[in-house]
Amino acid sequence: MSGIVSPSTADIASALKQRATMRLRALSDDALHAYLADALYQERRRVERGKAEDDGQPAYIALLDEAARAIRADRGRMQRAVLALVGHYVAEIHNRFSERTYNFATRFLPGALTRLLTAAQPTQLLGADFDPASRLMVQGPLEQLRALSQNHTLLIAPTHLSNLDSPLIGYGLYAANLPPCIYGAGLNLFTNPAMSFFMSRLGAYTVDRRKSHGLYKDTLKDYSVESFRRGAHSLFFPGGTRSRSGLIETKLKKGLLGTPIQAWQENLAAGKKDGEILVVPCTLTFALVLEAETLIEDALAEAGKSRYIITDDEFSEARTVASFARRVLSLDASTYIRFGAPLDLLGNPVDAEGRSRGPDGEPIDRTEYVTDRDGNVIRDDQRDRVYTARLASAIAAAYKKDNIALSTHVAGFVTWELLKAQWPRLDTFQLAVLRPEERRLERAAVLAGIDRAIAGIRRRAEAGEIREALPEGGAEGLLEDALFRFSGYHKRTALRQLGEELEVGPRLSLYYGNRLRGYGLEKEILA
Amino acid sequence: MKVAILGSGTWGRALATLVAEAGHRPHIGYRGRPPGGFPGSPNLSGLVRDADLVLVAVHAGAVREVIRSAKPGPREQVVIATRGLESGESGWLSDIVTAESACVQVGALAGPAIAAEIMKRQPSAQIVASEFDAVCQRTQEALHSASCRVYTSSDLRGVELAGACVAVYAVIMGLADAMGQGVSVRGVVITRSLAEAGRLGAALGAQASTFAGLAGVGDLVAAGSHPEHPGYAAGAALARNEPVPDTLAAEVGALLTLSQRHGVDMPILQALAAIIAGKLRPRLAIDMLMRREAKQTER
Repeated sequence: MSGIVSPSTADIASALKQRATMRLRALSDDALHAYLADALYQERRRVERGKAEDDGQPAYIALLDEAARAIRADRGRMQRAVLALVGHYVAEIHNRFSERTYNFATRFLPGALTRLLTAAQPTQLLGADFDPASRLMVQGPLEQLRALSQNHTLLIAPTHLSNLDSPLIGYGLYAANLPPCIYGAGLNLFTNPAMSFFMSRLGAYTVDRRKSHGLYKDTLKDYSVESFRRGAHSLFFPGGTRSRSGLIETKLKKGLLGTPIQAWQENLAAGKKDGEILVVPCTLTFALVLEAETLIEDALAEAGKSRYIITDDEFSEARTVASFARRVLSLDASTYIRFGAPLDLLGNPVDAEGRSRGPDGEPIDRTEYVTDRDGNVIRDDQRDRVYTARLASAIAAAYKKDNIALSTHVAGFVTWELLKAQWPRLDTFQLAVLRPEERRLERAAVLAGIDRAIAGIRRRAEAGEIREALPEGGAEGLLEDALFRFSGYHKRTALRQLGEELEVGPRLSLYYGNRLRGYGLEKEILA
Repeated sequence: MKVAILGSGTWGRALATLVAEAGHRPHIGYRGRPPGGFPGSPNLSGLVRDADLVLVAVHAGAVREVIRSAKPGPREQVVIATRGLESGESGWLSDIVTAESACVQVGALAGPAIAAEIMKRQPSAQIVASEFDAVCQRTQEALHSASCRVYTSSDLRGVELAGACVAVYAVIMGLADAMGQGVSVRGVVITRSLAEAGRLGAALGAQASTFAGLAGVGDLVAAGSHPEHPGYAAGAALARNEPVPDTLAAEVGALLTLSQRHGVDMPILQALAAIIAGKLRPRLAIDMLMRREAKQTER
């Protein structure tokens, strides 16, 4: 049966070194030299610039020094230096899952979410004061997923908006009686001692996104492959980082997403019957997003490329996190975790028994995608990359379909579109820096736009193109709900009432409204 | 290698000839009468399941029905050897394969290869495009011989689009020749029509080099010069005010729909659509195209 597997660091290091050895064998002397040199150059630069404080321990420096000597020596020494670095990275990445901690944390999470994120010591976490079931809506084909999780390995692939996503999904899995998952968490999330204590025991493995060289990335991928092979349910965000703009992810990263197909084929080749892996797209929808202000700033500044990791956003401010957690958890149904219909690794839907279904609904033998007529597994990395791209498209399509329109999204969308219409010659950036008196809209015009947006969203929801959880009371009810939710949380104005006018915070309205891009609603908003 | 060729028409038999020339075993899937000279079967699904490669050689409008009958599975590799688009939402013939079956390893074949010349063992060349290297390699192996050079490309959309465009631009070439236009007009039609096809290709993410290669210039020069090419022959018929195949209007319409969806202006294609619909006389069409506003750059 699949579940969390918790091998010792020595065990996993041994397995990953074996994988690395296989990879190194395929490299020429020059390629091996370049592989090690790239890792060494990048790590040395980080250490010299003082940006590797957590890696600056003497043992790691000694490994880099040995790598520097090995690079001028023979092949054997270069290989040993690579394997030594792999061993170091595995020790950094791997954390042992603790069932005891998991049971404890899930019992009190998210009632103790505020404390979890802010407590100085783990002991402060005792106590529960929220009823999570009424705050976080967990939806989807849960019964089917529970059944499938018994004899399949699941990859949970969520959208990514906030650093709170991982613990929330962790809770969502618990609430849905689904098994826990291992998941990659940025090194910056381990800086809070309480967070680190729990994350390392809740299945989180450490990902240092500052290490961008091939050796580290290969080790991470190998870790993922090895975990899938051993039947560990996994969670990773195929979008890579948090969506800066608030848009639903349409282009997903293929690196880690390609690891389950490798593990699956290895299991097939080894004759492992219970090695089937299924993918569960998961859409997270928040009425409010903790880091909204920083993220949209970043998107507008176009500085939010993957190489730039925000370390000082709202998440690093304990008070802001606590305020957010209180706010989110005190508002009914403001956060949705929707597990989508499970897919096979080619992006085909699967039925209740986990069998793949073709476009005509007929069952298909998915092993035929990777085997010849005699049932032998045919390895083809190029083919697998295309398969992974297909899977990525299927996940992105599921995100779009399972996205849930909320009042804050509609209010943001409509007010941004009306601002755009009011200032037709201004581009996005110019709109974002309008002065307060320039970004006012007549309430009546906003209500009319919301009315049309509601109609458009409900029409699309009936066609299965999107989901909605809009409040009752038509445009008036929706606007009131959005104003209530926006009020008091963000430092900047998102939307506020000024007599018969509304003052729009363009950046936040853009951010929240972006959740509704891609459905062709724009033209329907304006009269 | 056993190669299943779905379609027993002239083009299907020409492909079977190329497969045999390359030293492999062609098997033709047919409806109605068995093809002469090659082994075949009316059981398309059985044929496909047993083949190492599947080439689809029916006209664009029949691809969907043939794929539904053949039901290629996850293991099969299917190459669309037909030029054109299906009228409708998607239009791409390779998408029909993935939408109607569990097969995902698809490709498209195009290039200067006229059926009548292949049957006479005259040299030709083609290009196969697929996202999957394995599909390209197997198709190359199946068709490459001393009489046919086969190149490979990853630009599936580009090759499919170039093939679809050539099929209809060949009509204009036949029309111009039948109207007694000079060789200058041929040069203009070849370059300007491929320029507008390239603009559409760019909007779809296709590579510009595809339109300058075998699937574009190469195919149009051949198709637009050979009296037995169906497009060229249809153009000549238009000039004589004779009826043209019903499928022609649908193929032009599918391309126009695609261009409109992506906001690409294709004046030559629009003129051809108007001529086929009987709304514009050919001579007037040439006059209108020549009187378009002068442009500074050739794009």
